[in-house]
Amino acid sequence: MSEKEVYLDSCKTTKLAPEVLDAMMPFLKNKYWYPGSFTSIGTEIAEVIEQAQQTVAKTLNTEPEEITFTSGGTDANNIAIQGIMQANKERGKHFICSTVSHPSVLAVFQGLEKLGFEGTYISANKDGYLDLDELRDAIRPDTVLAAFTHVNHILGAVQDAKAIRKILDEADQKIYLFMDSCEAYTKVPIDVQDMGIDAISISAHKFNGPKGNGILYTKKGTKIRQTQFGITRVFKLKPGAINIPGIVGSAKAVELAFKDFDKTIAYYRELQKLLYNQLLSRIPDSILNGPPLGERSPAHLNVTFRYIEGEAIMMMLDFENIHVDTGSACSSENLKPNYIMMNTGRTHEESHGSVRFTFDRFVTREGILRTVDVLERTVAELRRRSPLGKKES
Amino acid sequence: MAIKYSELVIEHFKNPHNVGTIDNPDAEATEGSPACGDQLTVYLKVDPETQKIEDIKFQSYGCASNIATASIITDLALGKSIEEAKKITWKQASEELGGLPPVKMHCSVLAVDALRSAIKDWEKKNLGKQFDESLTKKNVEKALQKVIYGKVGVDIISLKLVKYIGIDDENNVVIELAIGKDDSFLDDVKHEIMERMEKFDNIGSVKIALV
Repeated sequence: MSEKEVYLDSCKTTKLAPEVLDAMMPFLKNKYWYPGSFTSIGTEIAEVIEQAQQTVAKTLNTEPEEITFTSGGTDANNIAIQGIMQANKERGKHFICSTVSHPSVLAVFQGLEKLGFEGTYISANKDGYLDLDELRDAIRPDTVLAAFTHVNHILGAVQDAKAIRKILDEADQKIYLFMDSCEAYTKVPIDVQDMGIDAISISAHKFNGPKGNGILYTKKGTKIRQTQFGITRVFKLKPGAINIPGIVGSAKAVELAFKDFDKTIAYYRELQKLLYNQLLSRIPDSILNGPPLGERSPAHLNVTFRYIEGEAIMMMLDFENIHVDTGSACSSENLKPNYIMMNTGRTHEESHGSVRFTFDRFVTREGILRTVDVLERTVAELRRRSPLGKKES
Repeated sequence: MAIKYSELVIEHFKNPHNVGTIDNPDAEATEGSPACGDQLTVYLKVDPETQKIEDIKFQSYGCASNIATASIITDLALGKSIEEAKKITWKQASEELGGLPPVKMHCSVLAVDALRSAIKDWEKKNLGKQFDESLTKKNVEKALQKVIYGKVGVDIISLKLVKYIGIDDENNVVIELAIGKDDSFLDDVKHEIMERMEKFDNIGSVKIALV
């Protein structure tokens, strides 16, 4: 592949920012110590961790001690969801989730159901927004937790956490609100106090941080039980070996993402608009999936190209060193169309021909324009091969 | 485990042979549907004297392996007699492509199915042949031979996953399947069975029971 890489799949993972690697290197090579008291090496590392907590806390408008570094977004989901459900089980065993949540969140709840907990899965509309009337109806006297995916990874819808909190507050009992913000963090502003969020999961590799590193926010006073046990050096909820280079790298990635936050978001919006306008004007029978541009996550676009199939599109782009994702059943491990597309009222065909484009800070205008050029050719060629859509042309 | 295509699949996907339509074809057939995620139409031109396939074209709505298998079966059938072309199997098509991932084997089945249906169409029109397509146990079993269990890439009859086929007087069909209820391919197998059963005229309800 001689052409320069265009990577438009940040929702899956991103490349490590060079500055992040630079920040991590001393802790991989020379500063390999553990945190501790009294000694110079121990206190230096303890301070590095505190600094990292502070960096993250500032971006969420919360306190450093409410930040735990985990070994990924899934780890953070498990610690928070299981921990809250287990700690409050005398009070209730009911949770509320949604049919459009991220699979990593749904998997935790499926595990909890096997342990005797009960869930209600509220639905979403065609754009991926949660049905808040259903949320209101789903609340039971034994509801303990509501957990949602903040930015829908397939449709780009940004859930209104504040409105969700308001509904949860109508209940007689305390209902904790957990947001899986892995796709939202660094793309939409999050103020946990203003939004009334009790716990959040974040994944560093979605914003040019290191893989296998996550961040968990848990509000002070949240009744949460430990789900992992071992030696607790720093984080009560996350015992065991501490990935110090990972923590340093995660904090550096956070710092970079929030350095010029508004400017970065404006840049994503510009790229998104460019991609959208070019695609819809140059490729007929293209349909936007999810909310309109101004509303959806700025780093996210999902388009269905009718009459053709997404895995074929994805592979054609891959031949040209352009990387995207698709909701096609053909590209899934068990031949199922994407459940979020299906659960929001789309046809198998619409899911099948859908392509998702997600950005990070390394995406350029040139990359977007090359993608559109290649897509225009690809779609025309695959439509030439397709028996569908011919009568209309 | 990563699913990977062979170099030949990639080559046939990048540069497929025999794409297009034939004006006034002697026969044609479409298998699959957009609702199922893949569809293939095969067009034939057959020499009435020699009964040789003079021209063959296809159009495919589907993934890379769908396009590649359509390309290879049209290559295999071109120039062959109707009788020879009938003998092309989905296993052969897959082997000619250097193998297909198990989860993609159904593409090869669809390609051969479309070819055989086009041949049938030709035989009906030109030889006046009749085919027994009635709802019988034997024909249901034949139809289920085209349903691939994606985990291993083999049909559910060969794998002995079909334990019982029952048809009552009102044409209601019961199929007992030996697949676990949590099996990740269960939905796909059920979907494929329903698609196959819908092709029988006058079929009543279809019940798939797990045993």
